[in-house]
Amino acid sequence: MSSPEDITRARQIKDLQPLHDAWVQWTHTRESLQETLPLLADTDPAMRALASEEYNSLTSTLTSHVQEIFPQLLVPPSTTQHLSAMMELKSGVGGSEASLFLADLLRVYTRYANVNRWKTQIVASNQTDGGGLKDAIVEVKGDGAYDALRWESGVHRVQRVPATEASGRTHTSTVAVIVLPLAEEPEKMNCDDDLFSMEDVKIEVMRARGAGGQHVNKTESAVRLTHIPTGITVSMQDERSQHQNKRRAFQVLRSRLMDIKITKDIENRRTTRRNLVRTADRSEKIRTYNYAQDRVTDHRIGLSLMNLASFMEGDGVQDFLDALKRNHDEDVMEEMIADID
Amino acid sequence: MRREPVRQLFARLTTLLGSESANLELKWMKQAHVTSTFPTDLSTMLERRLRGEPLQYILGTTPFGPLELLTRSPTLIPRPETEDWTMRLANVISPTSNRPISILDICTGSGCIPLLLCHLWPPGSTRAYGVDISPAAIRLSIDNAAKCEIPAPTHISERFSRNTFLPVLHDIFDADFWTSLHPPFDVVTSNPPYIPHHEYEQLPASVKDHEDPKALLGDPPGSSNQDGLSFYEHIAFLIGQKGILKDNGVVALEVGQGQADAVEKILHKTSGLRKTEIWKDPWDKHRVVVGYA
Repeated sequence: MSSPEDITRARQIKDLQPLHDAWVQWTHTRESLQETLPLLADTDPAMRALASEEYNSLTSTLTSHVQEIFPQLLVPPSTTQHLSAMMELKSGVGGSEASLFLADLLRVYTRYANVNRWKTQIVASNQTDGGGLKDAIVEVKGDGAYDALRWESGVHRVQRVPATEASGRTHTSTVAVIVLPLAEEPEKMNCDDDLFSMEDVKIEVMRARGAGGQHVNKTESAVRLTHIPTGITVSMQDERSQHQNKRRAFQVLRSRLMDIKITKDIENRRTTRRNLVRTADRSEKIRTYNYAQDRVTDHRIGLSLMNLASFMEGDGVQDFLDALKRNHDEDVMEEMIADID
Repeated sequence: MRREPVRQLFARLTTLLGSESANLELKWMKQAHVTSTFPTDLSTMLERRLRGEPLQYILGTTPFGPLELLTRSPTLIPRPETEDWTMRLANVISPTSNRPISILDICTGSGCIPLLLCHLWPPGSTRAYGVDISPAAIRLSIDNAAKCEIPAPTHISERFSRNTFLPVLHDIFDADFWTSLHPPFDVVTSNPPYIPHHEYEQLPASVKDHEDPKALLGDPPGSSNQDGLSFYEHIAFLIGQKGILKDNGVVALEVGQGQADAVEKILHKTSGLRKTEIWKDPWDKHRVVVGYA
C-alpha cells in the first residue's frame, strides 16, 4: 500500500538520488586515487605503468565531477520535472509544404518520445489533401516529458524543394510549436480546480442542429470552451463523442492555464529572469532546417548540425535538446553566481 | 484498385456533408475499420453513408457519455441531447448503496438512459427497469447491458451489490402494464416518440428511412391527437396512479422542439405534479420537463 505521503517521500528520495550518486562516486574515486598515489613510485615498472594509467583515469573522473557533475547539481531542481507534455503544432507560412513538414516534425517527436518510453497520443489533427497535417495536438505522457520538450516551443523554419514542386524551386515554410505542461486530469470533470473556476468557462456546442433530438441523427460533437478572464478559447471536434471532446478541451484549457501560471512563477523568480527573455517569445524563429545544405541550425544557441537525415529519421533532436538544456543550466548558474556578488 | 473508388465516394460525401463533416466521418470510419474484426471495408461504409444510412448504424456503435453503446437498425440511435440531460440528471440525484433507488425508463430503446445512470451512480445504489414495445429494442438493450457490464437483477448481483438493469418487453398502453414491474419507483425517465405526423414527413432520410417510426411518431395511427403528445398523456396518466411514483420521486421526460410547455401542463394536470421545471439542451432548446412528486 502506498499512501500519498509515501509517494511524496519516494519522489523526494528519487529527486535526491543524483546528489547521493555524485557524492558516493566522488568519495570513491578520491579513495582510489589515494591508494594509487604510492604505486606511482613502485619499483616494478609494470606496476608503475598500471598505476599511471589508473591515475589518469581517476583524475579525469574527478575533473568531470568538478567541471560538470557538481555544477549540474547546483541548478535547482525543476518544479516541472515530473510533468507530461502537450504539444501543439500549427502550420504557418508555406501552405501545403508547411503541412507536410508538420507531419515530418510530428514523426520526429513521436519517435523521440518512444525512445524515452513516453506514451504519445494524437488528440486532435486536421489532415490536408496532400497527406500533410494543418495542425495537431499530441499528448506526450511520462515523467520529464515537459522538461525535455519545452525547448521545442517556437517557430521552426524549413527550406527545401517540396515533394509536390515540379520546378525544383526551394520553398521556405514554417511550423509553430507550443509545448505546454500536461496537467493531470482531476477525478471529476467540469468542476473548479486550482487553475480555473467553472463559472469563468463558457461551454458552447458548435453548429446548428435544427429541431435536434429525435429529428436529427447526424453526429455533431464539436465543442468550444472560452475561459473568460484570459480569453483563451479551445475547440475540439475530433471525437464522435461530445462528452469526450469536452473532456479533451478542458484538458487543453488546463494545460494552457498551467503554462501561464508556470511562466508567471518564473517571472517572479529573479534568478531566471534573464533566461525568460530568451525563451518566452513563441513567435520567435528558433530553428532552421536547410535541406540544400543538409543542415539544422538552432538560432538560440547558434548550434548547427550537419546531416539532416539524422535529425528527421534518427535521434538528432536529442543533441539539440541536450545542448539547450545545458545552455539553460549554465544561464541559471551564472545568475546564481551574479546574485552572490 | 480500391483506391480510386474510395476517393470518388469521398468526393461525393464532401458534396453531401461539406468538407469538414466529411473529413471527420471518413476519419471515424477508418478508425472503426482498423479496430479489430470490423466486418466491412471502407468503400462499403462510404456507399452506405451516401445512401443516407446514419453513420452510427454503419459503425455499429455510438458514444453515450463515457459509454460506448451498440447501435442496430431500426432501434433509435441515442442522441447527444439525451446524453446531456441524462448526465445532468445523474448529478442532480445522488443515490448510495445505503439509500438505493429504483428507476423506470419508459420506451427504453437501446437502454441508453438507464445504462448510463447505472454506470454513473455508485455500485449497489440503483435498480433500473426499461420497458419497450419492440423486441429488437429489447434485444439491443440486453446486448448493451452486457457490453456495459450492468447485470440483470439476481441474487448474485444483489449479493455483490451491483447496479442492475432489467429490460422488459411490454406495451405501455396495455391495461396490465404494471404486472411485470415492481412499483413504486424513485425515478421515472422517458424519451418517448414525440414527432408530430406533419413533421415526420419532413425528416431527413437518415432518420425517416432507417430509424423505427414507432420510436419517432408521437401519436398512434388514427389517434385524435396529432401534436405528438399522446405518449406524454399516457405516461402522465400512468405515473399519476397511486403507488407508482414514490414521495420525493422525480420524473424526467425528453420533449421535442416547442413541446415543453404543453408537456409541463400535462404533468400538472394529469399526474398532479405541482413542482416542475424545464431543462435546456446544449443547443439552447427546451428539451426536458422534470417533475418532482
